[in-house]
Amino acid sequence: MSRSTKKGPYVDERLWTRVKRQKATNNREPIKTWRRACTIIPDFVGHTFAVHNGKTFIRVFVTEEMVGHKLGEFAATRIFRGHTTRKSTAPGEGA
Amino acid sequence: MPRVSGVDIPVGKRVDVALTYIYGIGNVVAKQVLAELRIDPALRAKDLSDEQVSQLNQLIERKYVVEGQLRRQVMQNISRLKEIKCYRGFRHMRGLPCRGQRTRTNARTRKGPRKTVARKKSVKEL
Repeated sequence: MSRSTKKGPYVDERLWTRVKRQKATNNREPIKTWRRACTIIPDFVGHTFAVHNGKTFIRVFVTEEMVGHKLGEFAATRIFRGHTTRKSTAPGEGA
Repeated sequence: MPRVSGVDIPVGKRVDVALTYIYGIGNVVAKQVLAELRIDPALRAKDLSDEQVSQLNQLIERKYVVEGQLRRQVMQNISRLKEIKCYRGFRHMRGLPCRGQRTRTNARTRKGPRKTVARKKSVKEL
């Protein structure tokens, strides 16, 4: 279900002001943020964000193609390292 | 046999159905196209006049993206998602559903046939 057009995209105000401030000072330091749900707007292009994934901050360099996506889409919250094989599982299985 | 939109040669079915054999044209679009050209949808595809066929060709070409072009568009959209390394892109790479469906069970369309893994020995068997 997509968001109502009437409301427009969700962009976190404070995050946006920080981006604007960075733009003014030409500072491109990563912006630490927990706002995973914030939509990436054209203003964000070229900036780096450190997006929280629940544990650490993942660096996301925003490119033009990412516009319209949410910041959270680029910071995975789960790491899948493959299923455990039978041998390596069940410590004490035969005990 | 009439040829509409390049390779497609719909059979001796009703035109509204025959048109749906074109990739990118479904029931709704087929009916819209026919209504716009004032062609009776109940007409058989083989009974279409050459003029009507060319009208269909022109209209579809002008207003809709079909067949190869549409397929390419879809592929491009997917490869874009993969390129920007977003969540949906990863799901496509792994061949898993990317719209939040459960994968504990089901999701067989994306995952393909079941790959059974040998069951862990139960305590009773030991």
